[in-house]
Amino acid sequence: MFGKLNKEYFEIAEAHCDGPCGVYDPAQARIEAESVLMLTKKILDLKRPEGDDAQKAYANTLARFIAIKEQRAELAKHHLLVLWTDYFKPEHLAKYPDLHETFWKAAKLCSSCKQEISLEHAQQLMDAIKKVHEMFWDSKGKDVAWYTAS
Amino acid sequence: MQDELLRANLIHKLRLLFGRLTGFRVEGNSMKPTLEDGDSVLIEPSKQFRVGDIVLANHPFRKSIKILKRIEIIRPDGSYFLIGDNLAESTDSRSFGAIPAKDIIGKVICRLK
Repeated sequence: MFGKLNKEYFEIAEAHCDGPCGVYDPAQARIEAESVLMLTKKILDLKRPEGDDAQKAYANTLARFIAIKEQRAELAKHHLLVLWTDYFKPEHLAKYPDLHETFWKAAKLCSSCKQEISLEHAQQLMDAIKKVHEMFWDSKGKDVAWYTAS
Repeated sequence: MQDELLRANLIHKLRLLFGRLTGFRVEGNSMKPTLEDGDSVLIEPSKQFRVGDIVLANHPFRKSIKILKRIEIIRPDGSYFLIGDNLAESTDSRSFGAIPAKDIIGKVICRLK
């Protein structure tokens, strides 16, 4: 009798985090940052050709690379900010005193990667996200190895 | 702090049938280990709360959502600082601040299963 009641009358009380699924993973930021790194390499490797048609194709390719680099760096920043502001809590800060510094630098590197064509900053962004990965999985008590898709 | 929630007895169930209590199903892990995802609880509408009570409240920014958290602190201004028992997986007053008294709906008095 009460089992039936349970299904028919019970509303939902959320005991969630903001997600509200509670699913977080620094892999989202890592994938975007990897794209930024690859696009930076591609832009640096791109050679300006001779001839009208080839130059148009070159301009198109360069414009696309820049646009995608811009977009991916913004996405990397977004995913980092979600982790920073939604997942990490004051208890984590006590355990990882450089948490704020790490995220602040990583977010700033996302901006640098948009403004510049800097392999150095793109690599530093990957390094910062690796550090986030380590803190994140340590905070969950899981041993998850760092890997990259490229 | 309520260490363990009572199981609903016949009186609780009759009060539920007559609409004196409201049933809610828990979704999520923020109140673990006290309440598990899928647990059912009975809520008593109330305006009198103590530190340690598990309460049902309106989410401060998404009014259509009701949240279950525990009262950590009752502030001098009458607002409530709520936190989840599962600190690592709860978004609560540590993120969104204290909840005004008008948004606390009632307290959990027992679990149904």
